[in-house]
Amino acid sequence: MKTLLIAALAGVSMLAINSAQAVERGGTLTFARYDDSNLVDPVYADRNPDIWMVTNLYDTLLRTKADGKTIVPGLASGYEVSADGKTISITLRDGIKFSDGSAITPADVKFSLERATNPDFGPWSGLLGSVESITETDNGVTLAMKNPDPTIISILATFNTAIVSKAAFEAAPGANDQEKATALFAPGTPVSGPFTLKDRTRGSTMTFSANPHYWRQGEDGKPLPYLDEVSFVVIPDDATRILKLQAGEVNGAEFVPFSRVAELKADPAINMELYPSTRIIYSPINSRETRADGSPNPMATKEARQALNYAINKDALVQLITHGTGKSMTSPLMASTTQLAHDGGPLYPYDVAKAKELAAASGLEGAEITLTTLAGSSDDATLFAAIQQMWGAIGVNVKVEQVDNPTRGAKNRSGEFDIHTYGWVNDVNDPAQVAGWLGYYPTRKAVGTGWNNAEFNSLFEASNTEIDPEKRSEQYKRMQEIYADAAPLLFLYETPFAVALSANVNGYLQTPLGNNEFSSAWIAK
Amino acid sequence: MSSLSYLVSRLLQIIPTFLLVMVVIFLLVRMLPGDPAIAMADAKATEAQLELIRQKLGLNEPLVMQFFYFVKNTLSGDMGTSILLKAPVLEVIIERIPVTAFLTLYAVCLSILIAGPLAFVAALNKNGGLDIAIRSGFQVGLSTPVFYIGLLLLTFLAASLRLFPVGGYGTTFLQHLHHLMLPALTVALYTSAIIMRNLRSAVIEVLDADYVQFARSKGLSRSVILGRHVLRNAMISTVTLLGLSIGNLMSGTLVTETVFAVPGLGRLMLEAIFARDYPLIQGLTLTFAVMVSLVFLFTDMVQAWLDPRLRLS
Repeated sequence: MKTLLIAALAGVSMLAINSAQAVERGGTLTFARYDDSNLVDPVYADRNPDIWMVTNLYDTLLRTKADGKTIVPGLASGYEVSADGKTISITLRDGIKFSDGSAITPADVKFSLERATNPDFGPWSGLLGSVESITETDNGVTLAMKNPDPTIISILATFNTAIVSKAAFEAAPGANDQEKATALFAPGTPVSGPFTLKDRTRGSTMTFSANPHYWRQGEDGKPLPYLDEVSFVVIPDDATRILKLQAGEVNGAEFVPFSRVAELKADPAINMELYPSTRIIYSPINSRETRADGSPNPMATKEARQALNYAINKDALVQLITHGTGKSMTSPLMASTTQLAHDGGPLYPYDVAKAKELAAASGLEGAEITLTTLAGSSDDATLFAAIQQMWGAIGVNVKVEQVDNPTRGAKNRSGEFDIHTYGWVNDVNDPAQVAGWLGYYPTRKAVGTGWNNAEFNSLFEASNTEIDPEKRSEQYKRMQEIYADAAPLLFLYETPFAVALSANVNGYLQTPLGNNEFSSAWIAK
Repeated sequence: MSSLSYLVSRLLQIIPTFLLVMVVIFLLVRMLPGDPAIAMADAKATEAQLELIRQKLGLNEPLVMQFFYFVKNTLSGDMGTSILLKAPVLEVIIERIPVTAFLTLYAVCLSILIAGPLAFVAALNKNGGLDIAIRSGFQVGLSTPVFYIGLLLLTFLAASLRLFPVGGYGTTFLQHLHHLMLPALTVALYTSAIIMRNLRSAVIEVLDADYVQFARSKGLSRSVILGRHVLRNAMISTVTLLGLSIGNLMSGTLVTETVFAVPGLGRLMLEAIFARDYPLIQGLTLTFAVMVSLVFLFTDMVQAWLDPRLRLS
């Protein structure tokens, strides 16, 4: 009897859980953002507030799952790569439509991909540099490649290759493609994504409404999205965004400061989410023989840079700056959520004795190093205070130079810095972008450090045409070993995306690339 | 001098001010450290992309030519295109002017409503308990940072008591009044402290004036003396101060509009500076200069109305 009772209770509990998890349709989710979208177009989106919204309005041929790594079919039902990797055949899903009910055709796909490959349009065409030509087929398109490209499948799941309506572009006012794209960021534009733009007041509000012709099915067997509308309000101030959520005026607030995470986690009315991200916080070290002023550079040797890394207690930084929400970097080139990230364990674990030994051997002792930080950034101020103390233990004096973001960017490009703070989030679901940024010399001088390693450069170039996944993985493993050993960065920590939601909001997702996904979000009534 | 010719002469004085502002803002923006192309393009941009932005902005032209184009385009009503917002600067500014104008006017009204009666109460109770209490209260307002007052008001009146919305602007006139109450009050608390102190001193001074004593001896009622003789004369210096305060109020919108998520010119200016959006910074500065000049003009007209001697001189 007792067993039966327990079984019955368990059954009732399961029923309750199931019914609690059953999706509910309808309603408006109001979401507080730190900044407004200025132009949500696949090829012209060049700031995160634009990029992270693209896939809500425009669907891609392939999609990335929530883990940020796995590629699944999107508008395309499938694809086939030829044995030599130089032809990619893409098949479109049957019956897919734009929001105005018109069919999404191979002509739309060709038009969209040709826009994405055009070097005159937007900053992302380089991602499709390997595409020679695009031809329509009966039920899709074929890409002819200049060379095999292991990143191409990931790129087809990236915002810049999302599908737009050729007819809408042809009919749009404007003297050129950018003017047309600007004109089309307006209510009434046919789109391929789960939502359409309903209205927008620049710098203030934006509303998306459900696309009635969207193809993806929800858990209840009906088309997504679950919500009728998503309403965005722009609130730049962190504290005000949180107050707005606490007052019940919005259902979600992004970019919650890490210092507020614990407090919001304790609030039963709020669901404090920490989404895994590809965001890394690091500091480029000027690795040139001489500083910009011609004086000898005490950080020119790898031993000196290793000493600086060993002398930093990253776990302490994670506690101090991210309030325990982050974690130390385990790959020198990328966040652990990125494909082909090699987990080498904690990089340069805190070891003052080893740091002292390396500092003495490399002549770093007594050196004066300037840390360039962002003025007004409390994170950078904390980082400086901690590093000053930690490096004091190995005889390195640290000065601070506070600048604003454009000045820091200019210094990075000109090499007029010792070490400066920096951060990165992947835009693409492939490690080539971040590896090219951080380590490859010919394009951006290894994130401005001046570090130039022939083996790394050639491995990177080879990996960009290597279509054997195992071989490419080996190449990346070796690149990460070389980079970790050379230490052209202070390898610091990874942080999640902190989003606070009302307790009744379900299914919202911020992907590791930062994309705000509302298609599966729903509100329990 | 008639009122019309006084107005025309004051309007003509605005022109050299405007030209001077154009020169100063053009040079100041270019003296900011950091490459605007880098700021606009994101750190990941290639050199070719940066070069494209420099060409678009005319940054490769000699400085003299850049200034020439800037003056020529501005005078023809073309302030360029905002790189940050990807929209014409004039269009963006026209969208935002009503918001900041509403907020500023609202704050001025609240300042007068708060400072006016309290200044009279303080002056009529000179050095009494009420006077000391009022002045001490305003001293706190003066010495507290604006953003802190804003956050306190938001936390208690909006988030806790839910009397007002937490930020935003609304869509109808009544919604604007409701949404902007707290930001307007935030700046009004600071401004009213200054006005109250000035008006109190002026009222005390006027109360001792011969003509007020004369009015009393004539047997005029207290309300007539205060309304007709004291207020009008005490207002002259306060109007000047109020005019100057409106200029400060506009610069104060940079902080207030950010904290309260009000989509006005102040917040836009902050975003433009951080993004090194030259066309937008220039356009906004000129707009602020015109608005402040018009406020000063209006102040002068009111002063001339209150005290005809100013007009004649």
